[in-house]
Amino acid sequence: MSDYDVIVIGAGCGGLSAGSQLARKGFKTLVIEQSDMVGGCCSTFEAQGYRFDLGASLIEDVEVINWCFERLGTTIYDEVELVECDPIYSVILKDGTRLTYPLSSEHTAREIGQIAPGDVMGWLKYGAYMQGFMDAALDGFFLAPGNTLVDMIKMFAKTPALLKYGPLFISSYQDIIEKYFKDPRIRESIGYQSFFGGLPPELCPGYIAMIPWSEHAGIYYSKGGMIGIPDALKRLGEKSGMQLKLNTEVKRLIVSNGRAAGVELQDGTEVTSDLVISDINAKTLYLDLIGEEHLPWLARIGIKSYEYSMATPMLYLGIDYEPPLAGHHTITTLPMDELNDFWWKDYKQGRFPVEQYSIISWSSGSSSGMAPDGHHVIVITLAPGAYRLEGKTWDQIKPELTQNIIDHLSKRCIPGLKDHVKYADFASPPDFEKRLKSPEGAIYALRQDLPSSLVFRPATRSKSIKKLYLVGASTHPGGGVPTTIASGMIAVDLIDKYE
Amino acid sequence: MKNLFILAFSILGIGYLYNNLSDSKKRFLKELLRQVPYMIPRYFT
Repeated sequence: MSDYDVIVIGAGCGGLSAGSQLARKGFKTLVIEQSDMVGGCCSTFEAQGYRFDLGASLIEDVEVINWCFERLGTTIYDEVELVECDPIYSVILKDGTRLTYPLSSEHTAREIGQIAPGDVMGWLKYGAYMQGFMDAALDGFFLAPGNTLVDMIKMFAKTPALLKYGPLFISSYQDIIEKYFKDPRIRESIGYQSFFGGLPPELCPGYIAMIPWSEHAGIYYSKGGMIGIPDALKRLGEKSGMQLKLNTEVKRLIVSNGRAAGVELQDGTEVTSDLVISDINAKTLYLDLIGEEHLPWLARIGIKSYEYSMATPMLYLGIDYEPPLAGHHTITTLPMDELNDFWWKDYKQGRFPVEQYSIISWSSGSSSGMAPDGHHVIVITLAPGAYRLEGKTWDQIKPELTQNIIDHLSKRCIPGLKDHVKYADFASPPDFEKRLKSPEGAIYALRQDLPSSLVFRPATRSKSIKKLYLVGASTHPGGGVPTTIASGMIAVDLIDKYE
Repeated sequence: MKNLFILAFSILGIGYLYNNLSDSKKRFLKELLRQVPYMIPRYFT
């Protein structure tokens, strides 16, 4: 007799999604989390009276997240106070041109028309095409298991419309943007979102080019910090009996006769279970917690071949004035070709220049209570940063880099910033690795291009170890808050079917 | 002989098409092709 029906390793959004749903179904569920808070990348921490979002700074595709809450007998709107962000973002181009894209796609067309009248038609055609893809993806992609070729055939049989969008899977993000938009400034203003897929525009799969359109269906901030979403899943899970152990690290997954049978904790305690769900990086799971000796030879080669996704250094600032920003998100960006050059000439070579792309999230502008009275917080997501720098360590360059970035942003888009910083904390890829136990600080676990997606991504229902399921960014449908929550739903559906 | 001719013609055609791609598209293709050998083992993870 096992101690639990299910043990979930990791209380990120995927782990909490699966854990809370299974608890509601009556499974005796234990969620084990190595850190002192839930949410993984989607969490919020406090320092000197300021509240900072650790990684994720907003959500889109809220409908997908809501499906999970509906399975828990409620809605996200009843459980999390969501603030709609309008404008979606303000973009500052390399030449200083500023575009502010409102939530309304019609108003966005007007904004585009002021800069590039010839691209208004492109925006409308792009919107129509991507809306069709979004509808098909919501219907057939997000909750479909991507375990086997049969699953793929079923996915396309259920939603044949997906076939029409095949070119999105074999084209790059840049191809799609260049197809619909001719003006270099408009291309530049929507080029950076390829990094939401973890790759520069020329390498990112074309289907990620859906994002600049899907954002117009609504993007939201969780009042009080992004941790509001995983906290709600935790609360709902605990209401159904789910147990959560924080500050507890798993040392080993117990495998008996090819089946997952529980976990051994760092202190040597063994906890047994009938099923194990992993919400940690799949390479860490298979190579460190399980061990190669338990894997078939082909799976061993496959697991080792995965590349980690990019890491993004972050700068957390507490300031004593209201920053002159237009909305929740301000982006400083570069033309797509320069983003590509950055990837090859800087990121891949271990260099980290100051003048580059960044996302500035003004969370206290969207939600009160994030900073003391009269103060504000801004969180800056920087361009991809290599885990290993050329000739230096992150700790060596942090103080100077922090100051240079503050000076640069003061000049480029936040006048006065450098005179008002009261708190500054720079988180490098090694810091994320330490804090989140995410190897090399990878934000989406594994690279997300076609050879690492769908049936080529580690399977939700493990093909190597029986009774083991994967959720989170390592498995289908990939990294991001809605997608990791969806991965938990897929795992629960497969458990319903097979266990 | 006929098959050889078709093969040579195909290789030349592919080479011509590849040469006419932008650098950006070439890098996209190269990255895909670099990972193709891993797709079969990855299917078994």
